Formats: sequence, C-alpha cells, structure tokens
Amino acid sequence: MAADERDESARARVVRLLSGPRSRIGVTVGPSAAWILTLLVAPLAFMVAVSFFEVSSLTYQIIYEPTLNNYRSLFDGGGAIWNTPFVTALWLSYVIATVTTLLCLTLAFPLAYLLARSGGRLFKLVIFFVLLPFFTMYLVRAYSWVLMFGPGGVINSTLMSWGLIDAPLGIFNYGVPAIVVGLTHAYFPYMLLTLYASLDGLDFSIIEAARDLGASRVEVLRDHVIPLTLPGIIGGSLFVFVPSVGAFITPTFLGQGKVQMIGMLIESRVAGTYSIGYASAASMFVLVSIVGAMILAFRYVSIEELGGA
Amino acid sequence: MATETSESTETTGSTERLVGHQTVERLLGTSLYVVSGLLLLFLWVPLAIIIFLAFAENAVTIFPFEGLTLDNFRLALRSDSMRSSLVGSFTIATVAASIATILGVLASFALTRYRFRLREVYRTFGIIPMVIPGIILGVALRIYFQNLLGILPGFATVVLAHSLYGLPFVLLIVSARLYTYDESLEEAARDLGADPLTVFRDVTLPVIAPAVGAGFLFAWIRSFEDYIRALFLTGPNTDVLTIWMFSRIRQLDAPELNAVSAIIVFGIAIALAVAMNVGNVTGYVAGTVTEEEE
Repeated sequence: MAADERDESARARVVRLLSGPRSRIGVTVGPSAAWILTLLVAPLAFMVAVSFFEVSSLTYQIIYEPTLNNYRSLFDGGGAIWNTPFVTALWLSYVIATVTTLLCLTLAFPLAYLLARSGGRLFKLVIFFVLLPFFTMYLVRAYSWVLMFGPGGVINSTLMSWGLIDAPLGIFNYGVPAIVVGLTHAYFPYMLLTLYASLDGLDFSIIEAARDLGASRVEVLRDHVIPLTLPGIIGGSLFVFVPSVGAFITPTFLGQGKVQMIGMLIESRVAGTYSIGYASAASMFVLVSIVGAMILAFRYVSIEELGGA
Repeated sequence: MATETSESTETTGSTERLVGHQTVERLLGTSLYVVSGLLLLFLWVPLAIIIFLAFAENAVTIFPFEGLTLDNFRLALRSDSMRSSLVGSFTIATVAASIATILGVLASFALTRYRFRLREVYRTFGIIPMVIPGIILGVALRIYFQNLLGILPGFATVVLAHSLYGLPFVLLIVSARLYTYDESLEEAARDLGADPLTVFRDVTLPVIAPAVGAGFLFAWIRSFEDYIRALFLTGPNTDVLTIWMFSRIRQLDAPELNAVSAIIVFGIAIALAVAMNVGNVTGYVAGTVTEEEE
C-alpha cells in the first residue's frame, strides 16, 4: 500500500512538473544543456585560458600568470617561422585536407547523381555497399590501407608478382599520397550521403527543360545542378575537411613517421611531455580556422541542412 | 539517364545528329556506371583484402601465398588482453550511448516543440561535439578533468566524453523524426483523458522508437570505434579495444588483427542488413525520412 501511494504521488509530481510550459522546457533542455556547459563549453574555455598560462614542467601544474610564451613557442624553432614544427604541420594539414575534400567531391558526385536518379533494388544494394564500409570501424579501415601501401604492401607486391614492375614504386609507399587515399576512403561516405540528400530533392525536369531549350551539358551543370545542390556540396565538404584537418589515426599509420599533421603534433606534445600549454595554443589555431570555415559555410546552409550525416 | 535520352531525341531534327547524340548519351550513361563501379571497388578492395588475409597463412601480404588457415582467429580469440578490452569497449559504448540517447531525446523535444531564448545557440552547441576534431575535445577534456577538477582519467571520464560525443547523432536523428510527426495524435489522446506520461508511453514513444533506436545505434558505434578521445581519457584500469588494436597495428605485425577486423566487418554487415530490412536506416542516415516511408 505504502509503496503504491509513493508511486502514485511520484507520478503525480512528474505529471505536475510536465504541465507548466516553463518547467517542461526546463526538464527537456536542462540535462543536455548541463552536459554541454560542463563537458564542452567549460573545457574549451579552460583550454583557452591554459593557452595563456605557463605550465610547470616539473609538477605539470598550471601557473596562473598570463603569458604569451605558449604562442611564442609555436613560431619559435630557431630558424624561419615557416620551418617550425607547428607551422609545417598546420600547413600540411590544410593541404592534405583540401586535396582530400576535392577528391571526395569529384568522386562522390557521379555516384550520388546515379543514386538520386535510380531507385528501388539497385539503390538499396548500392547504398548497402556504401554504408557497410562506413559503419565498419574507422581503425579497421585505416588498417586496411596500411596493408595495401608500403614497399612490401599488397599493391606493390601484387604489381611485382605480375611482373609489371621490378622494384616497389615510391607512390605506393607510405607518405602523403597514402594519407590522402586513406582519408578519402574514411570520409567519402559523409560526402556521398550529404550530396545524395541534396540531389535527391532536385527536380530533374529542370535539367530536361534546360537541355530541351538547347543548353549544353556543361551549362546545365554549371547553371542549374551545382547552384541547386550547393548546400549539399558545402555541407559535404565541411564534413570531409574538418575531420581531415584534425586527423590522427590515418596519418600516423599511413605516414609511418615520415609525415606530421597537426593532430599528431598535438598528441605527441600531450602524450609525451604533457606540454598542455603548447597543445592548447596549437588547438586554438585549429579551432579558429574551423569556426571560420563553418561561419563561411553557414552563409549558404543552415545547421539543420548539415544534419545529413 | 534513360528518360533524358528519349525526351531529348524527340527535339533533334536530323537523323545524323540523332545517332551521334544517342551515342554520346549512351557513352555518358555508361561512364557514369563505370565510375560508380570503380568507386565501390575502391571502397571495398581494402576490406576484402583484410578478410582474405585473415584466413591466409602469411598475414601481411598476399604474395607469396602460403595457404589458408584458421590460426589467426584462434590467436585472436585466445588473447586475454583482446577479450578484456572488448568487454571494456562494449561497456563504455553501452553506458555512453544510453546517456546520449536520454539527453538527446529530451533535447529533440525541446527543439521541435518549444520556443525559448538562445534556442539557436543551444541547437548549434548540441551539434558541435560531432564536428569538433576528436583530438581537441580529447585534450581539452583531459586538461579540464585532471588540472581543473582533479579527476584522474578512467572509466567515468571516457563515458562522459563519449556521451557528449554521441549526443548530436541522437539529437539530429530524433528531431528529424519529430519534425514530421503529427502532434494531433497526442492532442487526441489528451482529449480522451490520458495524462502526459501515458501519452508519451502509448502514443509518442511507439512512433519515434525507430528513430530513437537508430540514434542509440549511431552513438554506440561512434563510441565503440573512437580512439583519440579514449586515448586521453581512459585510465590504467579501463581497457579499450581501439587502443589495443592501435598498439598492435603500430608494430606492423599482428596476424590476429586481421581476424578481429574480419569479425567486425562480418558482424556489422549482418547488423546493417537486418537493420535495413527492418527499419529505414538509409533514410535516417541520409536524412531523407519522409512521412510516406513510414
């Protein structure tokens, strides 16, 4: 009886709680807002603060005196500014991420177009074969390319056993090309799905009308298809570019020590010497560039449209 | 492509041009299929090779081929460190995805039903954990826990980080479903005397359940496959599968790793095939769920 009563009153209390609009918003927004504030906003704010403080290399404690030393050390390597590990790594990361994004875009567009124009069984089958690698662990996919590349990797050894080449080819060795291939493989589905969602909403009778009126294929693509799918193109590019800049696993495996991207530099400073001041300052540059890219993107797309993947 | 061909040929006058036109169309159509086929090959070849090597005597490369074996699987299943890290990752993913699902479902209701101040800011920040590079979130949380709060990395910190990471996936999938949801169903139930909890349990939940399930699955997979956040936030007593795998791959000689990878590929293939036949997974992933598809 007693338990029943308590149950009833607890239930009544919940019901009463949900009846007012104010408390309803509190109950629904509150928990996730608390999570976001304590686990996202506060840590990032603290990271900004740490980037302006000295960190004791003996006790790893933060010395709360404002300083610019962390930022100075990013650009101070004894030589020219563009030769410091930070600047080299950041520049290389942008180059690799840009190439990866362009590659994904050119590769994904034809397939997304085909998917949007076809339906039924073929569509389901193709989407299954695209989604399966996508859902497979990132680490497994990166590892699969470790096996493919390298002087004794699958590509080189296959070509050699077929007698097509005599010695391992440098381009199939570990390095920047391998990283670009690995990243393209990793983030390609993001681009494909975002482009597909955008092309799927496209009214294809517009294309037929334009063609009937004498527009060439290039003109149709330039004047109609690309402008109408621009949100998808920008959204997909963002989804590929941002994680590529901060990539860690792929460049570690497929660079095999020859390449250092910004994510690896940050990791090595924290995992190695716990130089959190340096790492925080370096992270600020990555964050600022990402926020910049997103602000630029949001001039063309809303965040809801980015919800595709 | 087919419809385009037939309609544009009608407008072409001379027979000569018609033939040339059709050839071009057919060539373009074919090349579209060829490019798409090559792409699928590109996505698939590495995975196929991993599966093949899992059964191969020589685990690192195909040539010279030394025969087939099941030793790699035996080696993988016998490894204690592999099993304990698998259990660790399962636990972390399940707890973190559960938290993310509860928070994400509540947040989706708030975003789709109520107007409040800072709503757009709230929405944006709800999606940021998905977009922000893992290395930065991992390092920021590590510094925050260790230097500001004095909490040492361990099970709790990984779960907290992953629950935040999973939140956007639940939020996006469930709120997309709620936008297309007919609220008059709830009004009818309320008019008939049901209290809000009953309405939620008997009316709302059954309708949004597939989306909630898909959100949970996404958050779970994201947590399970994450390496970089876990690296900074796990402690000595919490084993994580990705960290175990990473250290193995670094050594470049890990015959049992192919077997583990093959098992993962197979497991996910089956789960995905089931999910695609039961629920509209592709719709949720591609964000194209519409009312008539339900």
